[in-house]
Amino acid sequence: MLQCHVKGCNANNFPLELQEVVLEEQEAELNEDFLRNMLGKLEYEALVATCLKLNIQDLPPTIPEDAAYNDDFLQKLHHALLETHVITGKMVCPNCQHTYVIRDGIPNMLLAEHEV
Amino acid sequence: MSNAKNPLHIPSPFQADNAVLTEGQQEQEHVHNVYQAIAPHFSATRYKPWPVVEEFLMTMPPGYVGADVGCGNGKYIGVNPRLFLIGSDRSSNLISICAERGHEAMVSDGLSLGYRSGLFDFAISIAVIHHFVSPERRLAAVEEILRIVRPSGRVLIFVWALEQSGKRDFDKNVQDVFVPWALPAKPAPKKEKSSKGRGRKAKRAPELTQEAEQEAEQEAEQETEQDSSTTSSVTTESTTKSLTTPPSTVVENADSSAPEAAPVFKRYYHLFRQGELEDLVMSTGKVKIEKQGYDRDNWWCIAEKTST
Ligand SMILES: [Zn+2]
Repeated sequence: MLQCHVKGCNANNFPLELQEVVLEEQEAELNEDFLRNMLGKLEYEALVATCLKLNIQDLPPTIPEDAAYNDDFLQKLHHALLETHVITGKMVCPNCQHTYVIRDGIPNMLLAEHEV
Repeated sequence: MSNAKNPLHIPSPFQADNAVLTEGQQEQEHVHNVYQAIAPHFSATRYKPWPVVEEFLMTMPPGYVGADVGCGNGKYIGVNPRLFLIGSDRSSNLISICAERGHEAMVSDGLSLGYRSGLFDFAISIAVIHHFVSPERRLAAVEEILRIVRPSGRVLIFVWALEQSGKRDFDKNVQDVFVPWALPAKPAPKKEKSSKGRGRKAKRAPELTQEAEQEAEQEAEQETEQDSSTTSSVTTESTTKSLTTPPSTVVENADSSAPEAAPVFKRYYHLFRQGELEDLVMSTGKVKIEKQGYDRDNWWCIAEKTST
């Protein structure tokens, strides 16, 4: 959902690559409406690639055709999107290498004035 | 030195000093630094959702993804649990409060959000746009919100009104003002009361009834007011001085005979005239206004994004 927003960094600026990540799992209530809605918004391949990096291996490489009504798939998507939290880590722009820090579960997307 | 003419609960005119500070630096000093400093106290006075915002959120289809841009302590994030509302704020201290409550939130600047374009089904901006110091920056803030919302997505914006007639009565000729925020005096006898309020707040007070919450909120607001008025003199020259000599957002009490006086922060506001919010939003050329109104000292409007 995030992209690099350094001035002039307009192409190939997501997904931000997660590095040095500490994860925490936290159970959350399944919201199928949200997951179906997200199917239209996600860059699915990017999500799978990110998950693999984090050792979350249960998402299939491509979206199943019946994704919106595939309970098993939605459960996995739910787990990846809502139950897996990055507590600490870095997000690095694939284009300009700018690094955004995540601390205490909070991404900091602020830029220095000259970067905006 | 005119206490009577300038008690702390009365706003003073904002005097921009563009020669010394950029607009961004002025916001840094008179908005961001202030919210960083007052975050816990501010948060303790902000937990009753405003009805227009609540209705906007409750009537969104389940599963919709929204952005609360300038979310403060995140009081709207949990209002409708069927939505996925992500908060962002310039104040990391306020975002920490969101995170402690288990909300999804990040530190981000309203003029440059880190979200992909067109991602959100809707967005809210509650009491935020009035903190930008120039028309260009207010427009840029609206543009940035519209950027992250998809076509036909809706945006709800609240800004403070010049015409408000509640506890503050603004000079109708002055739209750019400093509005003081007084922290509770530290070892004051009220301490027990105010820390109790904060404790209730921090736990998100699930046991409180709505009325009790409302009461507590009013109490907290009154406390702020009282503290403002009991804190004595503010010198008029500090208004201009504070712009040139940071970090002086805190107006120290000049009267040394009141040793435990509360620090008072001066927040910058642009007060919107009737119609100004709609004009601002329409000037993007990307929306149509769906609804507009006045509520609780604010002008508000709901705009639908019609083009990118
Ligand atoms: Zn970049």
